[in-house]
Amino acid sequence: MIKKFIHQFASPKTYLYQVSRFYKYIFYFSLIIYIISIIWGLFFTPEDFVQGNSYRIIYLHVPASFLSQTLYLAMAISSITYLIWRVKLAAYLIIAIAPIGAMTTFIALISGSIWGIPTWGTWWQWDARITSTLILFIMYLGLISLHNSFSNHEKADKLLSWLVIVGAVNIPIIKKSVDWWSTLHQSASITLTDKPSIDPVMLYPLIGSIVGFFGLVICLVLLSSKYQILHREKNKSWVKDYV
Amino acid sequence: MFNFAFNSFYEALYMNGHGLYVWSVVILVFISLLGFFIGYTVKIKKIKDKLNEPN
Repeated sequence: MIKKFIHQFASPKTYLYQVSRFYKYIFYFSLIIYIISIIWGLFFTPEDFVQGNSYRIIYLHVPASFLSQTLYLAMAISSITYLIWRVKLAAYLIIAIAPIGAMTTFIALISGSIWGIPTWGTWWQWDARITSTLILFIMYLGLISLHNSFSNHEKADKLLSWLVIVGAVNIPIIKKSVDWWSTLHQSASITLTDKPSIDPVMLYPLIGSIVGFFGLVICLVLLSSKYQILHREKNKSWVKDYV
Repeated sequence: MFNFAFNSFYEALYMNGHGLYVWSVVILVFISLLGFFIGYTVKIKKIKDKLNEPN
């Protein structure tokens, strides 16, 4: 029953038509939220007592860092869905998400390094959080290269799914690295269980920037998956009707 | 909550010496997002054009 449900609602055709329907609403909503939050954070929040104005990088670094891990989890869920129920769309999503995950991880690493110069006095430190994030970036690149090296898409999808699931062990390591080891990186300012350690004046634009960036990244995933579907299903008659 | 945190536009750009760090990250993020949006839009357009070509 679950298999029938998934196959009915996760067919590439249904997905593609739904993407075209909702894309612009998500895009404009997210863009407006993101731009307002960034302007709010950069110009209308007070200077931090300890870090000065360099703390304003938080409005760009934290959303990218959050998405770099969330996208990998989305890839892991897609991998499990593909391996158990053989849903083609899940396989397309894995390779559609990977380049965007690499981009968000790259932004998280570079923005963190730039933030580190005025705050820590160094742009790089081989500590647990930064090193595990670098491993995540290398994993994204490795998965993309591996997929591109296969001419047989089905074999590539299967292998990629297993590798993504194995690599998912790095996500809790990234998340908990600041608690398990002594690192330069500060602990999380926002958690699901505790009260945020950041002042509300700085917190609201941060939440807005996370929501806005999340929406924009979803739009990128929709575009990327649309391309994957058109590319992989190009010989199907419904694709010709769609374009 | 919505008070401008600086005394002038120049001060907002300079950010007490931290402007270089903050603005370079802003540019990095916006160029990355823009590049990916343009890249995928072009790729989709190309594949649509290819599929629309008469055989």
